[in-house]
Amino acid sequence: MRKTLDLLYDGAAWLAALAMIGVLAMVLLSIVSRQLGFQATGTDAYAGYAMAAAGFLALAHTLKHNEHIRVTLLLGRLQGRAKHALEMWALTAAVLLAALFAYYSVRLAWQSHVLNDISTGNDATALWIPQLGMAVGTVVLLVAFIDEWWLELTGRRVTTEPEEALHNE
Amino acid sequence: QTKWDLPAAYPASNFHTVNLQQFANDVDKATGGKLKIQVHANASLFKAPEIKRAVQQGQAQIGEILLVNYQNEWQLFGADGLPFLADSYDQAMKLYKAQKPFLDKKLGEQGMMLLYAVAWPPQGIYSKKQINSAADMKGLKWRAYSPATARIAELVGAQPVTVQAAELSQAMATGVVDSYMSSGSTGYDTKTYEQLKNWYDTQAWLPKNAVLVNRAAFNALDKPTQDALLKAGAEAETRGWAASRAENDRTIGLLKQNGMNIIAPSPQLKADMKKVGDVMLKEWLEKAGPDGKALVDAYQK
Amino acid sequence: MNDVAVTTLLIVALFALLGSGVWIGLTLAGVAWIGMQLFSSRPAGDAMAITVWGSSSSWTLTALPLFIWMGEILFRTKLSESMFRGLAPWVNGLPGRLLHTNVIGCTIFAAVSGSSAATCATIGKMTLPELGKRGYPEEITIGSLAGAGTLGLLIPPSIIMIVYGVSADVSIARLFVAGIFPGILLASLFSGYLMVWALLNPGKVPRRDGTMTFGQKLHESRHLIPVVLLIAAVLGSIYSGVATATEAAAVGVVGSLLLSAAQRSLGWQTFRDSLMGATRLYCMIALILAGAAFLTLAMGYIGLPRHLAEYVASLGLSPFMLMVALAIFYIILGCFLDGISMVVLTMGVILPTVQAAGIDLIWFGIFIVIVVEMAQITPPVGFNLFVLQGMTGKEITWIARVTMPFFFLMCVMALLLWFVPQIATWLPGKM
Ligand code: NA
Ligand code: NA
Repeated sequence: MRKTLDLLYDGAAWLAALAMIGVLAMVLLSIVSRQLGFQATGTDAYAGYAMAAAGFLALAHTLKHNEHIRVTLLLGRLQGRAKHALEMWALTAAVLLAALFAYYSVRLAWQSHVLNDISTGNDATALWIPQLGMAVGTVVLLVAFIDEWWLELTGRRVTTEPEEALHNE
Repeated sequence: QTKWDLPAAYPASNFHTVNLQQFANDVDKATGGKLKIQVHANASLFKAPEIKRAVQQGQAQIGEILLVNYQNEWQLFGADGLPFLADSYDQAMKLYKAQKPFLDKKLGEQGMMLLYAVAWPPQGIYSKKQINSAADMKGLKWRAYSPATARIAELVGAQPVTVQAAELSQAMATGVVDSYMSSGSTGYDTKTYEQLKNWYDTQAWLPKNAVLVNRAAFNALDKPTQDALLKAGAEAETRGWAASRAENDRTIGLLKQNGMNIIAPSPQLKADMKKVGDVMLKEWLEKAGPDGKALVDAYQK
Repeated sequence: MNDVAVTTLLIVALFALLGSGVWIGLTLAGVAWIGMQLFSSRPAGDAMAITVWGSSSSWTLTALPLFIWMGEILFRTKLSESMFRGLAPWVNGLPGRLLHTNVIGCTIFAAVSGSSAATCATIGKMTLPELGKRGYPEEITIGSLAGAGTLGLLIPPSIIMIVYGVSADVSIARLFVAGIFPGILLASLFSGYLMVWALLNPGKVPRRDGTMTFGQKLHESRHLIPVVLLIAAVLGSIYSGVATATEAAAVGVVGSLLLSAAQRSLGWQTFRDSLMGATRLYCMIALILAGAAFLTLAMGYIGLPRHLAEYVASLGLSPFMLMVALAIFYIILGCFLDGISMVVLTMGVILPTVQAAGIDLIWFGIFIVIVVEMAQITPPVGFNLFVLQGMTGKEITWIARVTMPFFFLMCVMALLLWFVPQIATWLPGKM
C-alpha cells in the first residue's frame, strides 16, 4: 500500500515535470516558428495547458515533500496531544477542501465533455482533455491528504524538512 | 428583488459596456428595482472565453460574448467573421437577421436565449508597410488571434504570429508583429497608431457581441419583469448599432488625428481580398453543413 | 447582512484557518467558498472550477514557471558565486557591502521579468545561499530580497502595468517608460536603507576582504561576464523582437542551461534536480494562485471591493486626501488579494473618481503599481512572502516582520511621487 501510494505521487510528479518541459518546448516552438517562418498553430494554448498540468499533477508530491506552505506559528509552539489535535483539525479541513477541489475539477472535465466545450483559440482543443490534468492532479492531492490524515491519526506521520530550506542555510 | 450578475470582457469605457450599463439601468427603472443587473466589466468576474459557459451553467444569469470566439464549437457562431461576406453596417444587419433564427435555436438547445447583439465597427488592416495587393502581404508578421485571421495569413502568405492582446502593444514596438486586422475602434483603444501608421479600411467583416440570458433564470422572473427585460434589450440593440456607427466615425477621426493614414484599399487589394473571402466562404460552407448553406442563402436572398 | 459583518466574518474565517495551520492555497479557497455560499446566490463549485482552470492555464502566466526553473538551474551552477566575485569589489566600499547584490540583482532582473514573484525567486536562488555562506544576517538578506523583488512590477516589462493600461485606456508603452525612474529611485531608497542599517549595526556586516586597485577591480569583474551575457540575451530577445516579454523566460531557461553546460555543471543529476525543484516550487505557488483566483471570483460576486471603492469615491475628498484614502484602501485590500485582482476588481469604480479629481492617469498607474508592490509583502496574502517561505522555510510572520522597513520605504516612495510627480510623468512626456 505504502509503495503504491508513493509510486502514485511520484509518477504524477514525473508527469508534471514532463509538462514543465512541455511549457518550455511550446514557448520555444512559438519563437522558432516565427524566426524560420513556419506555422505552429496554438502553441500559446498548449503552453498554458502544459503549465496547468505541471501545477496540478505535482500537488501531492509537493505536499509529501512538505513544500506546500502553511502558517505553523501556533503548531510550532504546541507539544504532544494539543499539537496532535490541531494537526488533526488542519488535516481534516484540508481533506474536506481538497475533496471539494477534486470533485469539482472532475466535474469540470466531465461537463466540458458533455457541453462540448472547445477552446476559442487557434488550437480548437476539446477542453476536457487538458482539464484531465487538473482532475487527476486534484484527486491525487485528495488521496495524499487522506493518507496524511490517516498517518497523523495513527501517530505515524513524519514531516520532512523541506529540501529548499536546507539549500539556503 | 432579484439580482443578476452580468460578466463582460471589455473595459468599462468601451461603447459595448457603456450600452450594457445603460441597459442595466433601464431594466432597474422599468421594473421598479425588482431586477437589478450588476455589470462586471473588464473580465473582472469571468474571462472572455469562460463567459458563455458561465451563463450556460447558471453561474451568471446573463453575459456578453463575442460570437465569433465560439466558431470552433459551432461554425454558425462565426458567420459574422467571414471576410467580405457582409461588409457594411446595412449588410451586417441583414446577416444578423439571417443568422438570428439559427442562433436562437442553438442557444435554446444549450439552455440560453439571445437577448440582443450589436456589431463592432468594420475590420480593416493595420500595417507598418504599404499594401497595394495581396502580393504585398507576403511575409508580413501578421497577428493571428482567431482561426479566421490565421487562415487569411495562410492564404496571402503572411507569417501568422500568436500574440496575446495584452502583449500586442509591445510586440508591435519591437517588431514581433507588423500587421493585424481589427476595427478602427480597437486600433484606437490599443494605441496602434503609436507603432503602425497605415490602416486599410477594407470593411472586411463586422463581428458582433451578443448578450445571452440563462433560460432558467429568465423563466424564474415574473411576466412583467420578463417583458421589461426584453424591451430594454430591444432598445439596447437599436442604441448599440447606432453607437457602433458613431464609435466608428469617432475613432477613425481620432486615428487620423494621431497620425494614422486611413487608406481606402486599392482595386487590386480589394479584388485579391475578395478572392480570399471566397475561398474561406467555400471552406466554411463545407464545415458548416446544411445549416450554413441555409444561412448564407437566406442572407444572399 | 451588511458589508461590515460580511467582511468581519470572512476575515475571522481567514485568520482562523490560516492560524490553525491549514495550507494557504486551500485556506483562500475555503474562505471564498464560505463567502459564496453565505453571501451570494450563485453555486460556488462550478464557478470555482472554471475560474481556477482559466487562471492556471492562462498563457500570460507561463513566464512564471519558466523563470522559476531558470532560477533553479542558475542556483546549481557556479554562476551565482561568480556573480558575487564580480560584484564584490564594487560594492565592498559601501556600507552593507554584498547586501546590495539583492537590490542590484533584482533591479537588473526586473528589466527581464514582468512579475515580482519570479524576480524574487530567481535572484533569491542566487543571493540567499551566497550571502548566508558569507555570514550576512538572515533578517536583512531576506527582508531586502522580499522588498527588492517587487521592483519586477515597477521596472518594465510589467504584467500589472499591462492590466492597468488596458483598464484605464492609457498607453502601455508610456506606462513602461514612466516606470523606469521611479523604479531606479525606489531601488536607491532600498540601497540607501541598507547603508543606514549597516552603519547602525556595524557588527552585523561581515568584514571586507582586502582593498583592490581599480585595475584589479576591473579584472575581478570578468566573473560578471556570464551573468551579463545571460541577461543581455534575455533582454536582447525582447527588444530585438525575437521574443515577446512572456516568451523571453524560455530564452532565459535555454541560456542558463547553456551556461551551466559551458561551466560543466550540467549533468543528468543537475538537470533532474533543477526540473523537479522548479516543478515543486511552481506547484506550491500554483495552489495559492488557484485559491486566490477563486477568492477574487467570490469577491466579484459579493462585491466587497467594489462597495469599498464606491465608499471612497463618495467621500468627496481633495486630491491629496483622495490619494491617501486610496493608498490606505489598496494597502488593506492588498493584505488579502493579489495585485492584478485588486486592479481588475476596483478600476471601474476608482478611475472616474480619479479622473474627476484631475489626476494624470499615467501618474496614477505608477502610484497603483507601487501600492500593488506593497501588497506583495503584506501578510497574510503576500506572494513574495509565500515565495520566500517556500525557499527558506521561515515562518511567514517572521518574513513579513523583517520586510516591514521596505514596506515603509514604499510608502515614502508613494509620498515622493505625490510631491514630485515629474518622477513618473517627465520621461513619458518626452515621447
Ligand atoms: Na519588470
Ligand atoms: Na498582501
